Amino acid sequence: MNTSSYQSEFEKLLTRDYFSPKINPQRKNAFEEFLKKNLSKKAWDNLRFTNLSALKKNDFRISEVFDAPKKNFKYPEAVTADNYKIVFNNGHYQKQLTTLPKGIEIFTNLEYYDNRKNKVAQPTASPFDLLNTAFMDSGMSLVVEKNIEIKSPILLVFINTGKDQLMISPRIHVDIGKSSSISLIEHHIGLGSGNFSNSTTIFSLKENSHCKHIRLQKDSDQAINAGNIHLEQEKYSKYYLSHFGFGSSLGSIGVNSDLNGQGAECHLSGLCLTRNHQHLDTHILINHKSPNCISSQNFKTVLKDYSSGVFNGKVMVEKDAQKTDSNQSNKNILLSKNARMNSNPQLVINADDVKCSHGSSTGEIDQDALFYLRSRGIDYKTAKSILIHGFVSEIFDSADNLEIINYIKSDFDKWIEN
Amino acid sequence: MLEIKNLHAKVEDKSILNGINLNIKPGEIHAIMGKNGSGKSTLSNIITGKEGYEVTQGDIKYRNESITEWTPEKRSLHGIFMSFQYPVVMPGVNNTYFLKAALNAKRKYNGQKELDAAGFLKIIKEKLQDLKMDPSYLQRAVNDGFSGGEKKRNEILQMLTLEPSLSILDETDSGLDIDALKIISDGVNRYKSPKRSFLIITHYQRLLEYIEPDIVHVLIDGEIVKSGTKELALKLEEKGYGWLEK
Repeated sequence: MNTSSYQSEFEKLLTRDYFSPKINPQRKNAFEEFLKKNLSKKAWDNLRFTNLSALKKNDFRISEVFDAPKKNFKYPEAVTADNYKIVFNNGHYQKQLTTLPKGIEIFTNLEYYDNRKNKVAQPTASPFDLLNTAFMDSGMSLVVEKNIEIKSPILLVFINTGKDQLMISPRIHVDIGKSSSISLIEHHIGLGSGNFSNSTTIFSLKENSHCKHIRLQKDSDQAINAGNIHLEQEKYSKYYLSHFGFGSSLGSIGVNSDLNGQGAECHLSGLCLTRNHQHLDTHILINHKSPNCISSQNFKTVLKDYSSGVFNGKVMVEKDAQKTDSNQSNKNILLSKNARMNSNPQLVINADDVKCSHGSSTGEIDQDALFYLRSRGIDYKTAKSILIHGFVSEIFDSADNLEIINYIKSDFDKWIEN
Repeated sequence: MLEIKNLHAKVEDKSILNGINLNIKPGEIHAIMGKNGSGKSTLSNIITGKEGYEVTQGDIKYRNESITEWTPEKRSLHGIFMSFQYPVVMPGVNNTYFLKAALNAKRKYNGQKELDAAGFLKIIKEKLQDLKMDPSYLQRAVNDGFSGGEKKRNEILQMLTLEPSLSILDETDSGLDIDALKIISDGVNRYKSPKRSFLIITHYQRLLEYIEPDIVHVLIDGEIVKSGTKELALKLEEKGYGWLEK
């Protein structure tokens, strides 16, 4: 791996003041570990089927404040218009474009870390996590008070622009107070070329809090986009994710959830669509650490052309996590003989009174179903489209928001047509 | 309506049909009976155009046109229908959406205006009643979680909706209790007309008590070894197939 420009950019970053210099030791630790592990497949077993050459080549430069848009920049339309909105451009939070409901406070990360005396645990689950900690240069923190119910979704729009190969490393903290509920829609829009957007979002869900999270990744065709989600869930908290990975040339979504308190729930759904030489990864780790917790994973991929994908899903049930209820499903359709999918569902159970299931299937479109539809007068192309629609529909429905579902569906329709 | 001449067919080098001759005229109901593996389902699959079968000799003519090169959808649009022995389960595909797509494909082909949701519902609700099906069927995914009887009723619903000229009922009676059998046969009997023909494929004589055939054929090892009136079916029920085997 060519580390020279990571190195020089890292030195440069240490002189910027987005975060307190007090966290520099944490940055340095992460960066050293990143260099030590060197993106090798041996060190990162989960990435053994992922081509990381675009990361190794590395001629990125860090995103600077001046990379935010000029004053007359016309923002593209986001997935929905009438919501609370937080806008990021090349990772940088755009305060003037933000609207938020009462009961939620936004902090810069400088303030957030300061309030916590810089004692914030840093994730290390993937090279993306390490890079984000080393290079975090933007983002913000959302703190929701207790007993607040916000029904209208809060839109987080990440717009990546510019011709330079920017490394954009937003860090988002979302702390949701006891018995509060929010709904987030994270929308990544790629207008630039060749950027590397690597965001890490850390959720702290207090007792009985709820969070619905839709993540829509539509970064540009040349971009690298990694989304790293970490969750600490207290008792009876509930987290729902619907992830839609449509964009980027190399994309990765990682979710690591610790179900720390009893009765906590984590429900993850995702759909990836890949074409040309695109590669999209999904990496899930759910740790059942307490009794009576529920987790579910339902991930699907539809692959065209020479594209490829990886699903790594792991559920760990600790000794004390009795009455765990967990299921995991990964299903994939290959629309081309040259497409490849690697699926690896795993279960590690150390408790004796649990209900866990997992399953995985990858194959071509069901020929019997295709014949059935055609025998009713429906032409081949339409029949195929109906079946793929049917295959993905439950993931659409998981978003539980008609406006978003329609938006995603129209994207999906275009994808199927081309 | 349907004329099959000296039809030979194979699947992966295994010869299944060995010279079938069959002539179904408009308004006629023919039944084909035979044991498992005699080639009954192969015959219906070949008439409807399923891939994986190779016609090595002979021809299938539908309304005087050879159809062996036609796609399954073309056969359907021209009025050939099969009620599947094992209707395919399609999770995520809404039954209304599917039925409407099928009906509109047909209407479009016939130069009729495609139906909107309201127009479609009006047509379908009547047919649901005929088959004693709850309207909630329409909201479910195609055959997903349907019982055996529900699946078969859903097949007949499609037949009534698409209004084919030639309907092949492939073991429509298998797995049905007597009530469901009666509902389905009533549906078929109401649909009968001098312009419509049926080919009923079955193991047992039971269905033929409800839907009376004009001609019964016995299929053994891919050949029709005997044809006769409905009394032939009764004889088979009584004596089995042994007396007809070589």
